[in-house]
Amino acid sequence: MTNLVIENIRRSLGRTDQSPLSLRPDIYEPRLPESVDSEVARFLDEIKKLSGVSQKLSPTNIASALKALIAEQNIRKATVWNTAHLRQLGIADTLQSLGVELASPNADKHEIAQCDLGITEADYLLSETGTLVLRSSAEKPRAVSLVPRVHLAIVCPEMLRADMHQVFAEAKDSDYLVFITGPSRTADIELTVTLGVHGPKNLYVWMMDE
Amino acid sequence: MTDTHPYIEFEKYSEHVPPSIPLAVQQATSRFVGGRAARVAELPQWEQLRQIGSDIRQHTIENMDVYLTKLEEKVEEAGGHVHWAETAAEARRIVLQIAKENNVKNVVKSKSMATEEIELNHALEAAGIESLETDLGEYIIQLAGTGPSHIIVPAVHLKKEEIAALFSAKLDINAPTDPIELARIAREVLRERFLNAGMGISGGNFLIAETGTLVMVTNEGNGRMCTTMPDLHVAVVGIDKVIPDWASLTVFLKLLARSATGQKLSTYTQFITGPRRAEGEFGPKEFHLVLLDNGRSKILKDPIGRDVLKCIRCGACANVCPVYKNVGGFAYGSFISGPIGAILSPQMYGTQTARELPYASTLCGACADVCPVKIPIPTILRHLRRRVAQGDELSESSMPAPIRATASLASLALAWNWIYRLGARLLPIINPFFRKDNWLSGMPYPLNRWTKVRPLPPFGARFRNWWKNVRSAKETESPR
Repeated sequence: MTNLVIENIRRSLGRTDQSPLSLRPDIYEPRLPESVDSEVARFLDEIKKLSGVSQKLSPTNIASALKALIAEQNIRKATVWNTAHLRQLGIADTLQSLGVELASPNADKHEIAQCDLGITEADYLLSETGTLVLRSSAEKPRAVSLVPRVHLAIVCPEMLRADMHQVFAEAKDSDYLVFITGPSRTADIELTVTLGVHGPKNLYVWMMDE
Repeated sequence: MTDTHPYIEFEKYSEHVPPSIPLAVQQATSRFVGGRAARVAELPQWEQLRQIGSDIRQHTIENMDVYLTKLEEKVEEAGGHVHWAETAAEARRIVLQIAKENNVKNVVKSKSMATEEIELNHALEAAGIESLETDLGEYIIQLAGTGPSHIIVPAVHLKKEEIAALFSAKLDINAPTDPIELARIAREVLRERFLNAGMGISGGNFLIAETGTLVMVTNEGNGRMCTTMPDLHVAVVGIDKVIPDWASLTVFLKLLARSATGQKLSTYTQFITGPRRAEGEFGPKEFHLVLLDNGRSKILKDPIGRDVLKCIRCGACANVCPVYKNVGGFAYGSFISGPIGAILSPQMYGTQTARELPYASTLCGACADVCPVKIPIPTILRHLRRRVAQGDELSESSMPAPIRATASLASLALAWNWIYRLGARLLPIINPFFRKDNWLSGMPYPLNRWTKVRPLPPFGARFRNWWKNVRSAKETESPR
């Protein structure tokens, strides 16, 4: 069944339903990665330029880093992605032992909205722009990186990609994919840059140094 | 049924621009122009990217039927619903129908030019559905009841004191004048609304035909909230937003934020393919895509004018436009302003309704220099001036007959060398009749439109003679 809009387009372009598709013009050569160290350094540096907080961190120092973050941001309630890597790092247990109340990442939206902190991993990282790329699923719900006022992403160098071209080649079958490039921002009132207008006000990125 | 857009009074408006508008607009544009220049300088392959972007948009326009058909198939495969809207009225009817079927009372909206184009908020309110703009700038102008003055920062014409007064009056609070505090208040107020809304409405920056994916680019996160919190998501998107595939998308994402705000990427870019698939996940249970034509398929018929549909809505053309910077966004009388508005509105609403807009330009060409997809805006402006003057199949010429006759004579003279030369020899004959102190004045209609304002030098100076003399003088001075 054809519709009127398509018919009008074909009439304007002088095409029919038999007209062939011409060849799409070629795109550019994707950027190639530099050494892992320089890609990591560039990624962490880009996040700082975006007013995020980024650092390399050894897994043995996770507990103390979490403790400092909780004190600094006055975290009382948190929600954490339910992934193997975050379980292995003992994130949820550490939070509980520090007196932080935990909400399931699959909890009702009203409960997620009460969380001060959301902890995720990333699926890919873009060094060129300091971008976290997150694919969503039941274990990795999209609200965790969005609704709490502080977002912490725990990432590792294997996730780095030199160009978004490679990310799309791997992830285009996702039902939901998001690029996060810095904390939520606006300049809508007198062009004053303001962080955290709807999404997280603070973005922390810890690069695991294993 | 097609809406008739009211006549766009660009000249009348621009004679009475409040002085605060150009001041605020120029602060915004100079910031964006500076940011863009810095990002472009970092990227050695910028010009190559622009060319590829332009080529892909051109290719998509020429094959639009194929890509839209593919898009529909893929969205439905992913569990989404596709609706085709030939007109603005039809698009409004479709959205209202979806709202009614789902018993929606409250809608949260993210900033979208397509929903501005179809004036969706009015329709929702008339049907008793509350529709709330959630982008901070859009929220402010919705409270104020005015239109946007800039594509990226719509409330830039309002001072923080005015916004504080607005918040105090409308939200029944005592709002401080600090922009950061004002943003915090908006966050709190809107957070409640996100959680309780029955439907989220968005636009879209791109539609990927390959997988049926909606791409949304935002900075505040309200776009993500609108598509994450409610169980129902309706996206209203122009048919011109379709692109072939994800590989093409990389080109446009690299061009868009750099051109718009001088960011490498906007804070949030989300890629939505159908409704949520997993239990326990957030995101809508139902996803509807309303594909809006509203005159676009008609624009495709004009092989010069249709390049306007390559636009990716970055606003870079407005930021460098000397006319826009002095009149602001309101003067363009439509959801889209600046040079791109000046070439879109006449094609969308008719060359009569928007006949002043192709002239709202100095043809300086700065817009074409910065356009990330190389839309030849000055060429299209000249083309539309011709359509306005001569009329076309859709509307009559808007020029008085004597002007048209004069213009035809002039074009004849410019096309034939001998007529031009003859005219140049004959014209001095009229000098004695109008000459006063070495100037011509008080000439008859239609030439009086010039001489009413300033006198004309007498006819007789002939460029060819002058040039011949200058050149021979130069050659004798410095022989090489």
